[in-house]
Amino acid sequence: MNSTTLTVRHSSPGSRLTDLFWKKPGLLIFCLLLPPLLWLGIIYIGSLFTLLLHSFFSIDEFSGLIRYEFTLKTYAELLSPANFDVILRTILMACAVTLAAALIAFPIAYYAARYANQKMKALFYLGVMLPLWSSYLVKIYAWKLILAKQGIVNWVVEGTGATFLLNSVLSLPVIGGNSLAVSYIGTFIVLLYVWLPFMILPVQASLERIPESLLEASGDLGAAPKQTFRLVILPLALPGVIAGSIFTFSLTMGDFIVPQIIGSSRRFIGQAVYAHQGTAGNIPLAAAFAVVPIVVMIIYLYFAKKRGAFDAL
Amino acid sequence: MSVAVKFDTVSRRFDTEVAVDGIDLDIQEGEFFAMLGPSGSGKTTCLRLISGIDRPTSGHIEIFGVRSENIPPNRRPINTVFQDYALFPHLKVLDNVAYGLLVRGVAKPERHREAENLLEMVKLQGFGQRMPAQLSGGQRQRVALARALINKPRVLLLDEPLGALDLKLREQMQEELKTLQQSLGITFVFVTHDQGEALSMSDRFAIINEGKVVQVGSPQEIYQSPRTRFVAHFVGSSNVLSPALSSRCNGVENWTSLRPEVVVLGDPGQGRIDGKVKSIRYLGASNYVSVELGEETIGALVNANEMTAPVGSAVSLNWTADAQHLMDEE
Repeated sequence: MNSTTLTVRHSSPGSRLTDLFWKKPGLLIFCLLLPPLLWLGIIYIGSLFTLLLHSFFSIDEFSGLIRYEFTLKTYAELLSPANFDVILRTILMACAVTLAAALIAFPIAYYAARYANQKMKALFYLGVMLPLWSSYLVKIYAWKLILAKQGIVNWVVEGTGATFLLNSVLSLPVIGGNSLAVSYIGTFIVLLYVWLPFMILPVQASLERIPESLLEASGDLGAAPKQTFRLVILPLALPGVIAGSIFTFSLTMGDFIVPQIIGSSRRFIGQAVYAHQGTAGNIPLAAAFAVVPIVVMIIYLYFAKKRGAFDAL
Repeated sequence: MSVAVKFDTVSRRFDTEVAVDGIDLDIQEGEFFAMLGPSGSGKTTCLRLISGIDRPTSGHIEIFGVRSENIPPNRRPINTVFQDYALFPHLKVLDNVAYGLLVRGVAKPERHREAENLLEMVKLQGFGQRMPAQLSGGQRQRVALARALINKPRVLLLDEPLGALDLKLREQMQEELKTLQQSLGITFVFVTHDQGEALSMSDRFAIINEGKVVQVGSPQEIYQSPRTRFVAHFVGSSNVLSPALSSRCNGVENWTSLRPEVVVLGDPGQGRIDGKVKSIRYLGASNYVSVELGEETIGALVNANEMTAPVGSAVSLNWTADAQHLMDEE
């Protein structure tokens, strides 16, 4: 048998480097992950930790300076009626937006996943994503105009003679107001609008992953369409709904611009954080407020994980 | 015997494509009926038309004498074992099997008892608490079977149920399905692309090609006298003799078929026709000998220890006159 010689081509520095990576795959992974890990470790976790730390300090009421001693006084302050109202209000709004987003997103996602052809699906993605590509502030100011007393909604309502209906809704205590633009209903509508895409997309992904044959099998075994929906489609789409709700819930809880521009003067957590660390200079209280959504989200994620929500991402 | 499923000039078109093209077919009550055809021949579509998952674009399907076009799948006395089994991934095996009773409003203790019975029948007792993902392919297939039988259907449809199993398991399941069908006494309609399955399991079968039924009959009828060249090629490996060759062999100028196992090799000049051995394939118990006759070849299945003629040698071929069957060209 002929012996063949293995010729090693002359190597350049670049190819020597790839040879090294080939011999030590761990090194390549280390080099790839180092920058993002530094970023995540120092900038993100580090600042989060500093925040957490500050929430255990307190502010000196006379000098207005931070007293660097461990105390739970700031957290006690968080539970005072005025501050606790802010927390409760924010969580309720996040729940309402999430629930409404799930109800609106499901039929849209269902259509896109089950019935839309290739062309309609492209249009669907465009329709869902397009609002995400335009400026957040522009969208919110546009909504302010839409919901204002001289806005298009009022104009339509007056034109159709349904003014009494709108007025009776706006005269409701707490959620009502002078016009939609300065009521909680308005805040709710706009938050729902901005975060809805984050619900539609994961729900659509989870619905798309249900094989057609499962629905056929259900019908074949005697299930009426509504039974198939309840017993097969809904349980299999639930992880997608939960995944979407993580987005809508956390984004609503952290938002401070929408309630600032549209809504009544009563604050949400985001606004409280903004005000306390800025004008009031009460960094510990701002930090304590900022910890609330983090804790709520940790609890939420724990339950979401148990339901398999992360399989649908 | 009455007719369980009747196809009356049934067609199913998808846009421009014709999946099922004017099929007429009677499936008798209590028989094991197979539909055999290559992939894309329309056999699965036929099954979907029977179950009601799909509807014909023209023609009628009668189920036990009743026209079915306005009966949705959930109200037909028919259940299906799906090709991919279609087990519900979020339900335990027991709840998968009990699903048909659940949607009919049967109480939990009763439907679980019944599901346990069916799991026992398919030899899966004790597996009820597992999830489908924890089962092997063969076990899933049995769960799908148990689930389809829980509603006591009058017709059971099976869409290539053994396709995903390995050979050993497939042979075992073939026997079990056959025994099961005989003990239950219900109609089985079985779709397959494996001619061995159709031959060994069915009482009768239909060969389907390009949306049309080419031939219907018992396995013996179809195996011994295929009606067309397509059937001859598809069911086993019959030799197909052109009109020219047929007339040289026995004077009939027509397309004929000839089973390779009836062909006897001999010395040149001793048989109906002479040829040259082109290749020999060893198959264990026998050899498959291809003999060249000018443009055409004839295959002969010869007992392995009787084979003497080497490749390239001249041989004669002989067979009894009734072994050669007339057929249509197409």
